[in-house]
Amino acid sequence: MSDVRNREAQEAAERAATYEWGFTSDIEQEFAPKGLSEDTVRFISAKKNEPEWMLEWRLKAYAKWLEMRAPDWAKLNVPPIDYQDAYYYAAPKKKPELKSLDELDPEIRRTYEKLGIPIEEQKVLAGVEGARKVAVDAVFDSVSVATTFREELKKAGVIFLSISEAIREYPELVKKWLGRVVPIHDNYFATLNSAVFSDGTFVYIPEGVRCPMELSTYFRINAANTGQFERTLIVADKGSYVSYLEGCTAPMRDENQLHAAVVELVALDDAEIKYSTVQNWYPGDAEGKGGIYNFVTKRALCQGRNSKVSWTQVETGSAITWKYPSCVLAGENSVGEFYSVALTNNRQQADTGTKMIHLGRNSRSTIVSKGISAGRSDNTYRGLVRVGPTAENVRNFTQCDSLLLGDQCGAHTVPYIEVRNPSAQIEHEATTSKISEDQLFYAMSRGLSQEDAVALIVNGFAREVLQQLPMEFAVEAQKLLGISLEGSVG
Amino acid sequence: MTLLALPSNREESWRWSDLSALPEIAARQPQGGVPERLPWLDCATGGPRLLFVDGRLVAAESNPGIVGIGAVDIAPSDHALARLVGHEGWTLRLASGHAPLGLVQVIHASTGAADHLPARIELDVDAQASVVETFLGHGWTNRLSEITLYKGARLMLARRILSEAGYVSLADRVTIGEGASFTLTTLAAGGADTRLDGEVRLAGDAAYAEAGGALLARGRQRHDANLVVRHEQPHGVSRQVWRSVADDQATCSVAARVEVARGAQKTDGEQSLKGLLLSRTGTINSKPELEIFADDVKCAHGATVGELNRDALFYFASRGVPAEEAKALLTGAFVADALERIGEEAAREAFLQDAGAWLAGKQADTE
Repeated sequence: MSDVRNREAQEAAERAATYEWGFTSDIEQEFAPKGLSEDTVRFISAKKNEPEWMLEWRLKAYAKWLEMRAPDWAKLNVPPIDYQDAYYYAAPKKKPELKSLDELDPEIRRTYEKLGIPIEEQKVLAGVEGARKVAVDAVFDSVSVATTFREELKKAGVIFLSISEAIREYPELVKKWLGRVVPIHDNYFATLNSAVFSDGTFVYIPEGVRCPMELSTYFRINAANTGQFERTLIVADKGSYVSYLEGCTAPMRDENQLHAAVVELVALDDAEIKYSTVQNWYPGDAEGKGGIYNFVTKRALCQGRNSKVSWTQVETGSAITWKYPSCVLAGENSVGEFYSVALTNNRQQADTGTKMIHLGRNSRSTIVSKGISAGRSDNTYRGLVRVGPTAENVRNFTQCDSLLLGDQCGAHTVPYIEVRNPSAQIEHEATTSKISEDQLFYAMSRGLSQEDAVALIVNGFAREVLQQLPMEFAVEAQKLLGISLEGSVG
Repeated sequence: MTLLALPSNREESWRWSDLSALPEIAARQPQGGVPERLPWLDCATGGPRLLFVDGRLVAAESNPGIVGIGAVDIAPSDHALARLVGHEGWTLRLASGHAPLGLVQVIHASTGAADHLPARIELDVDAQASVVETFLGHGWTNRLSEITLYKGARLMLARRILSEAGYVSLADRVTIGEGASFTLTTLAAGGADTRLDGEVRLAGDAAYAEAGGALLARGRQRHDANLVVRHEQPHGVSRQVWRSVADDQATCSVAARVEVARGAQKTDGEQSLKGLLLSRTGTINSKPELEIFADDVKCAHGATVGELNRDALFYFASRGVPAEEAKALLTGAFVADALERIGEEAAREAFLQDAGAWLAGKQADTE
C-alpha cells in the first residue's frame, strides 16, 4: 500500500517539476550590448526614436539609480543581482510595418497560440449579447508587435498604444502624466525602470467614455537574460471607465530573470479603473533553481472626486515577488480596492500587499488578501493603511487570511496602520489556518482525489478575490491555482 | 556621556520613535531628593519594597527582603537603549517551594537626569511572584529586565508609568518554561514619552504569555511599544491586548508580533490592538504582525482605530448623561479592557484609578 502511495507521490512531484508552459522560441534578436551604463540608456532611447526630453528623463533616473540601494526590508531572500550581467534591450528585428496579423513572424504567432492568447477576434463569449471584446496589446519580449482593435478604440476616442508609440504620437499627454504617480526617484526598482524601460502600454480614456472593451496585455519573457522593464500608464479622464487585464506566462529558464515593471494609473473625477492581473511566470523548479524575480511598482492616483481604482491580482508565479499595488486616495469620496490571491509553492517567496493612502474626505478602501503557502515557500502580506489629518470620515476594512499547506512553509502578515484623523474607522482582521481534516475527508468521501479536494478547498478560500476578476480571467485563475498546487499534498 | 548612538527612523523597529530628547536629558545633572509622595500600594501582605531614586536604592525607604541589590547576572543587550544599563541593579530569585512572598513593589523615581538599571527575575519550578513597578519623575529612566520562568512558575508583572515628564524606556527579555505563565501589563498614564520593548519566548511546552497594556497620551507625548512573542514549542498560548488613547498632538504606536517557529504546533496566539483618537491632531500607529512557520496553529489578530462609538454616545445623551461624562465613561471602559487583566486586585484597582485620574485630567482641560 505504501509503495503505491510513494509511487504516486513521486509521479505527482515529477509532474509538478515540469512547468507546463516552459518552452522557448527562436527569433532573431537585436540586443543592446550586455550591461548597464549611460550608453545603454542612450542606446535604448535612440533605438526607440525618442525625443530629447525623454532621453533626459531617463538619464536623470539612471543617475539617481546609481546613488540608490536595493531595498532590504521585505521578508525575502534575494540573491545578489548582477545588473551588468543582463541585456536591457531585446527587440524582434524590425520588419516592415505590419498590415495584419498574418504578416507577423509565424514563430511569434505559434508562441502566442501555445500560450493560448486569444489574439483573434474569436474572443467573444458565447451567449453574451453584444459580445464583449478584448483588445490585446501583446508585448513580445520588450516591444509591442501588434495591436488589434485599435480602430474601434480610436472611434471611441480611446488611445491604446505601446508607450513608445505614445511618446512619439502624444508627447504632451505622456509628458504630463509619466512619473506623476511613481516619480523617477520613487524606489530602487522603479528608478531602474525609469532609466531603461523598453516598452509597455499607454491608455487614455477621454472624458465620459466607457471603454467599449476590456483591454489586455500579455507579457512574455522570452530571450535568455533579458530583463523586462515594462512601463504602463493609464489615464482615465473625467467620468470614464476602463477595465484592464494583465496576464503573463514565461518560458522555462535556468538563469534568474529580472522583471521590474512600473504601472501608473490616474483616475480623474468620477472615473473608474479596474486593473486585473494573473501572474504565472516561471517560479523556478522544485529546488528553487531559476525563476523570475518580479519587482514591480504599481500605484494608482485617485485624483478626482468619486474616482475609483480596483486592483485584483492572482499571483502564482515568479521565484520572488515584491509587489504592492497601491492607491493614493486624494479625491473626495474616492475608493480604493485591493483583492489579492498569492500562492507560493516549492521554494517561492512572495512579499506582496498594498498601500492605501487616504488624503481625501470620505475616501474608502477595502483590502482582501488571501495568502496560500505550500512546499517550502514563504508568503508575506505587507500592507499600509494611512489616514492623513485632513481626511475626514475615512473608512477602511482589511482582511488578510493565510492558509498553510504542510509544515515546512511560512505565512506572515505585516500590516501597518497609521491614523491621524479621529473620524476614521479602520478595521483589520487576520487569520491563519490550515485545511481542516474534516473538509478534506468530506471532499474525498465524495470521490475527489486528494489533490482535487485540496484545489477545491483552496479555490473556495480564494473565492472572494476570484469573484472580482473579469470572466475571461476567473476561469484561467482557478485552473492556475490547481496547477500551481500540484505535488504539494500527499 | 559619549554613549548615545541612537537609531534613526529609517530602522524598521524605530520608525515611529522620536529619541531626539535623550541626548539633552543624558547631559543633565540629577537634582536629587526623595519624592514627597510615594504611591506604595496598600496591601495586606507586606512584601518587599524598593525605592530607587536616580537608579540608586534609598535604603531608608526600602525593605528589600529577599530581593538582592548589587551586581545583576544579566547578559549584555544589543538593544540601542537597553545596552546602556550597567551591572548594579536588583535581583529577585525564588526557589521552588518558597513561602508566598506578597506583592513585590519597586518605585523608580528620576530627578531629571538619566539612569540605567538592570533587573533579573528568576522563578524556579512552580514558584510564584507578583511584582508592581511604578515610575515617577522627569528624567530618563532606562531599564533592562531579564526574566526566566522555569517549569510551572508564574509571574504577574504590572508596570505603571506616572512620570510627569522626560523619557521612560523599558526593555524585557523573557523566557517562559514548560507550563509556566507570564503576564505583563503596562499602563502609561503620565507625561513622559515612553519606549517599551519586549521579547517574550515561550520556550517550553504549553507555556502561557500575556503582554499588553494601555497607553494614554496627550500634548506632544509619544508612546511607542514594540513587542515580540515567540512560540518555540507546541501548545503555547499568548494574548496581546493593547489599548491606545491619543489626545492633542500625541502619538501612540504599537508594533506587536507573534512568531510561531517551525514545529510549534497547536499554538494559539491572539492580538487585539485598538486605538482611540480624542482629537483631530492625534496619531495612532499599529502594526499587528504575524510570522508563522507551523501549519496547525490558531493565530488571529484584530486592530481598529477610530473615535468613540457614536451610537453609544447617542444612547448616553438620550439618557441625559452630559457629553463629557459620557465620553469619559466610554474612554474609561475602553482602557479598562487592557487593565482588567491584572490578576492582583490591589494593583488592578490602583491602575484603574491612575487611568481614571488621567482621564479626569482630560476633563479638567476641557472645562
